[in-house]
Amino acid sequence: MSLQQLRTALLALALISLAGCSSLGIKPWERDVLARQEMALDAYPIDTAFDEHIYFSKEAASGGRGFGGGGCGCN
Amino acid sequence: MQLKKRSPAELRLGLMAATCALLVQSAHGQEATDTTADGEKPLQIDAGALYYKENAGRIQSYDAIVTVRKDFGDEYILGLNAAYDSLSGGSPTGAIPNRAAQTFATPSGTSVKAATGAPVTYTTASGRTVAQLSKVSVYTAAPGTLPIDSGFHDQRVAGDISWSQPLGQNNKIAVGGHLSHEEDFRSASANVSFSRDFYSKNTTLGISASTEFDNVNPVGGIPLAGSDYTKLQKGSDRTKQVTGGQLGLTQVLARNWITQVNISYDSSSGYLTDPYKIVSVLDSKGAITGYRFESRPESRARRSIYMGNKVAIGSSVLDLSLRHGTDDWGINNDTIDARYRFNLGSDDLYIEPHLRYYQQSAADFYHLYVSSPGVLPTYMSADPRLAAFTARTIGFKIGVKLQDQDEVSVRVEAYQQDAKVRSSTLTGLSGLDLNPSLQSFICQLNWRFSY
Amino acid sequence: MNRDVSLERRAVKLHAASFTAMSSPCEVLIETADEALALQLGHLSAAEAWRIETKYSRYLPDSVISRINNSHGAAVEVDTETASLIGFATQCYELSGGSFDVTSGVLRKAWRFDGSKALPDQSHIEQLLSRVGFDKLDWSPPHISLPTGMELDFGGIGKEYAVDRVLGLLTARFEGALLVNFGGDLAANKAPATGPWCVGVERPDTDKQARMLLDFSRGGMATSGDTHRYIEIDGQRYGHILDVRTGWPVTGAPRSVTVAAGSCVEAGLLATLAMLQGEQAEGFLGEQGVQHWCLR
Repeated sequence: MSLQQLRTALLALALISLAGCSSLGIKPWERDVLARQEMALDAYPIDTAFDEHIYFSKEAASGGRGFGGGGCGCN
Repeated sequence: MQLKKRSPAELRLGLMAATCALLVQSAHGQEATDTTADGEKPLQIDAGALYYKENAGRIQSYDAIVTVRKDFGDEYILGLNAAYDSLSGGSPTGAIPNRAAQTFATPSGTSVKAATGAPVTYTTASGRTVAQLSKVSVYTAAPGTLPIDSGFHDQRVAGDISWSQPLGQNNKIAVGGHLSHEEDFRSASANVSFSRDFYSKNTTLGISASTEFDNVNPVGGIPLAGSDYTKLQKGSDRTKQVTGGQLGLTQVLARNWITQVNISYDSSSGYLTDPYKIVSVLDSKGAITGYRFESRPESRARRSIYMGNKVAIGSSVLDLSLRHGTDDWGINNDTIDARYRFNLGSDDLYIEPHLRYYQQSAADFYHLYVSSPGVLPTYMSADPRLAAFTARTIGFKIGVKLQDQDEVSVRVEAYQQDAKVRSSTLTGLSGLDLNPSLQSFICQLNWRFSY
Repeated sequence: MNRDVSLERRAVKLHAASFTAMSSPCEVLIETADEALALQLGHLSAAEAWRIETKYSRYLPDSVISRINNSHGAAVEVDTETASLIGFATQCYELSGGSFDVTSGVLRKAWRFDGSKALPDQSHIEQLLSRVGFDKLDWSPPHISLPTGMELDFGGIGKEYAVDRVLGLLTARFEGALLVNFGGDLAANKAPATGPWCVGVERPDTDKQARMLLDFSRGGMATSGDTHRYIEIDGQRYGHILDVRTGWPVTGAPRSVTVAAGSCVEAGLLATLAMLQGEQAEGFLGEQGVQHWCLR
């Protein structure tokens, strides 16, 4: 690899990691699938709230996902 | 600003990157946009009602939650949340079943002699006996049954508020507060989180902190931890504090796959004991000689790692999450939770089966019972929630999409908890199921609409 | 402004919604047999196009652009969307070595590309050039300070940006194939089940019927060049692309450049940058390794 090639490669890397489109990720115009409502990480907050409340009051572990559980005298 | 001649590769890559950065904000504006992409959006309201019922006449509750989300545009979002629970029935006291009937005072009772035959009682159909001695409530567990304090009736109201907004180009800050009130328990908490997007919003790193203050004021006062149950030495109300922190990473792995990893730590201190729970004291043959109020350490530190995934498979969506936690009470726990959503027809109808498996090891100070004579442990609890057990959930949800983002859904689930240690070799306890399984059932209605 | 959206069925599973925005005929092709859905998506597209047009129009006194252009040097705080557009313009300015400049619009005051032979006064051009230069403004997000007399103009990227945004907005709601076409600048999410989209590019010749037909399935495509906007001086034909260094039109540029790239914005930028290269337009696009069609 010549010095010039190395520079270009390094620059490409720097640009990719700096400004956008990391190799793991996707392009902005490829966000159609992730934009679907049911693809949100917490698509049904009410279900999450009920579940966390029930498991908080019946099991020794709670939380992990975000702030949840807690604020209840049941445990 | 430095202007110079760029190589073709430099220019092309730079242009791609710049375009990405420009279009990312538009892609992110997509989620719930109406006709005005970055403008103010209608109120999104989620309402849910839940009926929860346990087997063997234990807890039964009616819960309701309403959440309101207002997006003022440009990612300035206000969230309000109100919850109401009405709970009745009873939970295990921690005392184990016995061959003879056992009689206890309810939390509101003063002193009572335990395990000594029959006061003025009448027997209910469920096999438990309830007595009303002037103002003292007493209940009796039938021979071989798990003592359940069924005098509970409580209501909880809770509300919380959250605000999130951008902070400069790629950062977001969110703050929240929570208040809840029960007859014997009050709680206030606050949290703050900061997150930053990288790589065209393919990666988000977040850090958050929370703090919670609770006040425990049980009916009839706070029993002295570890004291004799019949003496009912009461103290005044107590407090507990929880502070926690979380580091989170959200990563888009592919066009159809987003994952989230959180590492959490929290530390509790103060009154962590359950004022209503007791521990049976047995002699060497297994006969009950008395009961002690449980006693837990005044601090607890918990750590957990959580990984959540959303994967679109054709028109279906898999939601898979894993969690592993440990704490300095010696409880290790693992959870796996999977939901698979099938969109039917023209995406207006969906069904979603749900499976969950959970297991935990017992707390170091968990004892099914303690033995006397002998030195009683400083810390002891027979609360079944601190025992080693496995739990399974099976559930099913069906939802119908109405116009726009509006939706109604129904969810039913069954839950079963099976303790690992349920019997004892002590002669007096042979043949008794000392920690029977808990079964519960839920039915939930959800309604989502815009206003 | 005409705010009608019309719907036409082109095939069993293909609807076309048409409207006018940014002085261009706009069309959204939707691969569905559902007329109500197609109309709903059509209205959504038009609303978004009009929103961008209104927000960034130089002619509307309340637009974000007018607010900046009439600020007389005072710092103006802008919203997130505008900030990303200015950020994008900054990067393009740097990447192009200063030849792509969103402050160059004032030069139009000297040039009228109506096919006439009237030459502007060199002193007028020089006077205008003193009001051009992206490096003269101060951009510290989210505040922009534009010196008095200078003007921002997103005309060079606004239409392409609207195309990409509309496509993004629609794909979030619809899984079938879509083609968004705003006056020849277009973007598609995928090919319909029946095969790739067929796109015609008008040849800048006298014979308007002659079209170049291109197969296109996903990404963006944009064309720079205009048959009717030129000026002829001593037999030399100048296109309407101005060189910010001289204030004069670029010479030797193709009559039209069409580029296909990942998005419409990117394609549009590459096409404009190619035009700025003049004689070297084809060479430039070749180096970039993008699909392109130049007509001279």
